[in-house]
Amino acid sequence: MKNVRIIAGICWAIAGLILIIILFPGLNSFSVSFSKLPFMKLNPRYTGGEIATQLISEKCTLDIRKPVFSGLLKERNSGFVQLDWHGTVPGIIKDSIDYDNDGKKDFCIEVNRAKSESGIQLYNSKVKKILISTPASYGWAVRVGLSKE
Amino acid sequence: MDNSLKTVALRKSFGKSLLYTLPMFLITFMFITGGKPNFSDPASGLAMLTVFLLVNVLYFSMHFTGKTDKYRAILFIIFAMSLSYTLIHNMLQVRQSMSFSQADILECKIPFCHLVIPMMILPAAFTKSIIFPGSIIGGFANISSMVVLWVIATIVLGRGFCSWGCFYGGWDDGFSRLRKRRVIKNISELWKWMPFAVLIMVMLSAALTLMPTYCSWICPFKAVTEFEKVTSVESATKAGIFLSLFGGLVIALPVMTKKRTQCSFLCPLGAINSLSNKITPFTVKIDKNSCNECFKCVEVCPLFAITREDVKKGNVSLFCSKCGKCVDACSRKAIHYGIKGIPAGTMKNFSRNLFLFVSFLFMAIFSSGSIISTFQGLFKLIF
Amino acid sequence: MTESLILGLSSGSACLATCGMVMFPYLMAGSAGVKKIAVDLTLFLLTRFIVYFILATLAWYFGRTIFSNPFIRNIVPGILYIVFAVLLVWYSISKSRKPDCPAKIVKTVNNRRLIPILLGLVNSLGFCPALFIILTQGATQRTLFRSYLAFLAFFIGSSLWFLPLPLAGKIQKKEVLKNIGILATGLAGIIFMIKGLTNIIGGIING
Repeated sequence: MKNVRIIAGICWAIAGLILIIILFPGLNSFSVSFSKLPFMKLNPRYTGGEIATQLISEKCTLDIRKPVFSGLLKERNSGFVQLDWHGTVPGIIKDSIDYDNDGKKDFCIEVNRAKSESGIQLYNSKVKKILISTPASYGWAVRVGLSKE
Repeated sequence: MDNSLKTVALRKSFGKSLLYTLPMFLITFMFITGGKPNFSDPASGLAMLTVFLLVNVLYFSMHFTGKTDKYRAILFIIFAMSLSYTLIHNMLQVRQSMSFSQADILECKIPFCHLVIPMMILPAAFTKSIIFPGSIIGGFANISSMVVLWVIATIVLGRGFCSWGCFYGGWDDGFSRLRKRRVIKNISELWKWMPFAVLIMVMLSAALTLMPTYCSWICPFKAVTEFEKVTSVESATKAGIFLSLFGGLVIALPVMTKKRTQCSFLCPLGAINSLSNKITPFTVKIDKNSCNECFKCVEVCPLFAITREDVKKGNVSLFCSKCGKCVDACSRKAIHYGIKGIPAGTMKNFSRNLFLFVSFLFMAIFSSGSIISTFQGLFKLIF
Repeated sequence: MTESLILGLSSGSACLATCGMVMFPYLMAGSAGVKKIAVDLTLFLLTRFIVYFILATLAWYFGRTIFSNPFIRNIVPGILYIVFAVLLVWYSISKSRKPDCPAKIVKTVNNRRLIPILLGLVNSLGFCPALFIILTQGATQRTLFRSYLAFLAFFIGSSLWFLPLPLAGKIQKKEVLKNIGILATGLAGIIFMIKGLTNIIGGIING
């Protein structure tokens, strides 16, 4: 029994040695395989959610993303909707948004990019306030706070 | 006489040490140079050569002198400092600032580190998603690679990851070596359970808020990596917490206690790594027949992993990071690297050689990229 | 709600560590099997739930009356959070901490059936810093419903620790769990200390 334990211990240690030796050359392929696991995707709170609507104008495109209310077990009451302007974004952005696709405008957002000033006019009680308004590498991004009630 | 004989037992002759270094020499040569040394850029070539020589001289010294911790610590500390340098340098180049902006978060461009892992577990299980604004695959410090690296290293090394792989541990390890004597001697045993309390708190708070709360609010290493731009009372409070924890737990307390206090009292990943010591093949063992209960190992252990009771029982607790400090301090070599299943006091050299090869190889390859990049920057600055 | 749950979870562990061993023999004494234990535990938890429900209502009405001014609404709870959080941290690091618990008074009660209810009452009304923090939390909520939610989260967090009580005899390394629980309580204290400071600074900035 003692010898079995010794042999098992040595085998486990040598397996460890092999694991470390193959770890670095195989890291890329291991990582790619690992990244395909079902939980290896970023939470919508970080990505901003999937794109729901794209409003394409001459030089600039506005992506309206799906509202995000993600919580641990169920959706939360408060969340946000993310808007991304990319392409040749004008100095002053002014857009009326229907985030829930019910045919009615929910808010109007105005951004002065040069002054980094943002304002919002609310038409829907579920829309709360601007959470983030920031320049991004692709243009400009805004997150507007929402509530379910 | 008997003692001195046992002391030199782990030392090897010059030729034998060279022979033991040969596999490390070949593998690190392949990894560091890619098999084709390129000296077209002198700074890069010189940096590569320096790092290659550094790791091999250190590994050779471990065999030649029979000492582990001293040579491990040199590479470990250089790794910690060079990684911070690389990260900061990278951020200054990309963002012209050490702080990240809201846009960086929105575009998921934040470099990922292993300390986020404990906070990912519950949200990954319940929401099937990762709660970190980084890149899943590809790009600098992506989530997938770091998790794979940590998982495999932790399975093999257990909490050894904290002394052979963690690119933050070198900071408090370094500061804990600055003074010869301890200023603070009596520290309650209770505190070593703190990382588990922190682990519970950060796992729960991260799950409930879907935010990496440790990174957002606590991580002392934000002070030497990247942090949120100070634009509000909240972000100023966070910056204050990062700086005070870095100053207190990474600098002041390690200097005064000669212990790695951040790793011992705060790090939630350290708690998980401690538990992984149960499965790892490598361990530190106490040979009760050789031990004269001088308790030097208790005194020098930087992670409170050995108590007097542990020595009397002949056990090393699960907090052990296999740094080798106790092994080096033991004049009778009663405490030694071991392999699970092999009784204490036997096959000491075999166990040490195997463990050193595995752990040092991991550290050498993992650290070489950032150390080369740091040396390259330094050489460019000098020449 | 998150803060309340964390407070409940952390202080519940320390509460169990200090009071659990007093309560355990009373809840379990003379019980014949799992069913009896479950009934006793349900009565105990139900009593706690009712007490917290009443406290949530009282705290909110009290808070609405005294914290009507927005400045006071930030500053006073901020100070209270800091004071109670300091007490909570002190409790976790104090060397003179004794495994003492108000639940000891049930030793004087003879009626076995009343014991789980009395224990529930004593446990939920035990004047500990965590209870004061949750009272402050309830008093500063915008709506009564939110106050209920805060107390409910605290109740759930702290109750989870009592669920394995019937198995207490079988749990090994109780000392380790106790240590972790006590340290987690200290950390919860630090969270509320920061919350208190943020409240005060926010109150001063916003006038």
